[in-house]
Amino acid sequence: MSSDTSFTNETVDLDHLPKYEEISLKQPHSSYWKIICINLVIFFVLLGIGAGSLLLFVDEIRPNAVWIVPLYFILAVIFFLLFRLSFKKRGYAVRTHDVIYKSGIIAESTTIVPLNRIQHIELNEGIFSRIFKLGSLQLFTAGGQSGHINISGIAIEEAKNIRDLLLKKLDLLENPTTETEA
Amino acid sequence: MDNDFSKPQRESAFGIIIMGAHTMLKIGKASFFLFVIAFVKTPGTSFAYLISGISAIIVFSFIFAYLWYLKFTFFLDKEKQEFVVNKGIFNRDQVIIQLDKIQQVNINQNILQKIIGVYGLKIDTAGAHGEEVSIKAIDETAAYNLQAHLLNRKAVDRLQPEAIHENDLTEETPFLRISGFTLFKVGLTSNYGQSLALLAAFFYTVIYEGRQLLDAFKINRDEIQNTVTGMLTIVTVFILIACLLIVLLIINLVRTFYKYFELQISQHKDALLLSSGLIAKKNTLISPNKVQITKYSQNYFQKKMNMLNMSLRQAHFGQSKKGHEMQGNTLEIPGCNPIERDELLKMILAKAPLKGKTFVPDWRFLNLPIFFKLILPVAIFLILAFNIPEVKPFIGIAIAYFVAGALMIYISYRRHRISVSEDFIIKTSGIWDISNEIVVPNKIQAITTFQYPWHKGVDVGHLTLHTAAGQIHFKYGNYTEIKQLVNYWLYQVEHKNENWM
Repeated sequence: MSSDTSFTNETVDLDHLPKYEEISLKQPHSSYWKIICINLVIFFVLLGIGAGSLLLFVDEIRPNAVWIVPLYFILAVIFFLLFRLSFKKRGYAVRTHDVIYKSGIIAESTTIVPLNRIQHIELNEGIFSRIFKLGSLQLFTAGGQSGHINISGIAIEEAKNIRDLLLKKLDLLENPTTETEA
Repeated sequence: MDNDFSKPQRESAFGIIIMGAHTMLKIGKASFFLFVIAFVKTPGTSFAYLISGISAIIVFSFIFAYLWYLKFTFFLDKEKQEFVVNKGIFNRDQVIIQLDKIQQVNINQNILQKIIGVYGLKIDTAGAHGEEVSIKAIDETAAYNLQAHLLNRKAVDRLQPEAIHENDLTEETPFLRISGFTLFKVGLTSNYGQSLALLAAFFYTVIYEGRQLLDAFKINRDEIQNTVTGMLTIVTVFILIACLLIVLLIINLVRTFYKYFELQISQHKDALLLSSGLIAKKNTLISPNKVQITKYSQNYFQKKMNMLNMSLRQAHFGQSKKGHEMQGNTLEIPGCNPIERDELLKMILAKAPLKGKTFVPDWRFLNLPIFFKLILPVAIFLILAFNIPEVKPFIGIAIAYFVAGALMIYISYRRHRISVSEDFIIKTSGIWDISNEIVVPNKIQAITTFQYPWHKGVDVGHLTLHTAAGQIHFKYGNYTEIKQLVNYWLYQVEHKNENWM
């Protein structure tokens, strides 16, 4: 609640507001594609072992190999293409007042979290991420599961910088506002 | 009890009875059918065992309750502005709640509490679990005092605690009171879905437990099935459906009366006090600025009767919330008239919300539902009908379904609107119950926009506003307008640093 004495109310020109859609977004680190590939390969190797052993040991399934094997390879190709596509589409940006994250495989979705709504920040490093010196940054809001941002594949140094920057801003936001509530 | 809650104190000693009965009820509920089976199956000689078993449960419940009473203490830490509860019989649990995180404080009274003359007090925060603290027995003045202490933290700072009179609450004249007749109308016109779910759950347990009983009695199940199917003719089915509908209506009425009897709302300092309930009286004190989404809805009948239902949604986090817990964070006010609604809206939102510029979805809104809900099922049905002669006579139903469905989808398209003014966002939607959800821009937590690649050319996209009490969707809007709106809301949220809770 702002105080009435120094209250000004200028008209806001909607056309001159900063436009989120025109911000140039930063792509995830190129090594992140390698991690996605490693994960996909692991997934498909496991799936292959499973399907293979079924085909080898269960006689009833063996005649179905004609379509199971091609399906397996088609699935693998589709997955790699989809993930490549989604990798290309990802992007993030940190502005003075908010964080923008764009993602999506088919539909392109952009989520914007204002800094003064961030509840807490998490920085995760997986095993493979560590090898490539990458990390993923999670920003949580009170908006529940769907209202939070998970930016993966940022160089760990940069991720830490962003985290520290955000934390600093959060502190700045919280301290002057402790007693303003009427 | 003194008025100051600064020293650790136990709840009222009657709490032992309440807690004991509560535990007993819990065990009893869990093992009710076990008892019935045991009762039927065992010969008369072991009747004594059964009695001793029941008395063992009673004794156990009360010992448990006594220990629980001994270990349950609470106090108010004035310096840190925290409410601290110690509990746990074998393990020590300490619950610490920061006062400014408290969303609402409920004072309830169930039948047993009413007989003994104590109250139950529940504290609700925005945490992952529905209620963090529940005090089972506390006398009336202490309950209201504690409620006032917990919610008016600023007042506690300024005034001496003695200055808060317990009569404050009763002196306030309620500005909204729902009469019995209105409730009757509410019961007839709304909340069918919930009653239906209740009925379904009831039938499910009856059938499930009945089956177990049949097994226990060694009754031939096929016999019963045969008699039941034998009774099913067209006429009996219609009678059965009619009976079910009447039962549904009656349940709906009873439920409405039970929950909302003598519902009244009064303003109390910066908070609103809601009280209602037929047998179990429920008092809820909430501060308006913690309401995240204000919603009112109305269907055709209600419009004719000039009344509407309101609900105030507060913050809830986490996925663990089940349906009934979520309800705890939604306060329903059924059957207010437009004047009362405006007054309530003014109280919660500081001024009456005005509809601003209204945005309309593109006609492509119709495509997906028409395809998936109409064309696809009807096509499957027709394919079936032309192949199976028994289904053929029912083709007329498919046509009726198609027409009704098309109408409903078209209505939902016509109702899907979002209206934006400087201070409010109002989302309208619904087919039968037309609801208006009102959000203040600074309650927005995050914004998502998204677009399918094939909609790029026609400039159509979707918008989701995430708030702490759920999401608001606006689908198939003009994407350029949506982006402009998003920029505007971001500006509103970011340029001033207002609290959202």
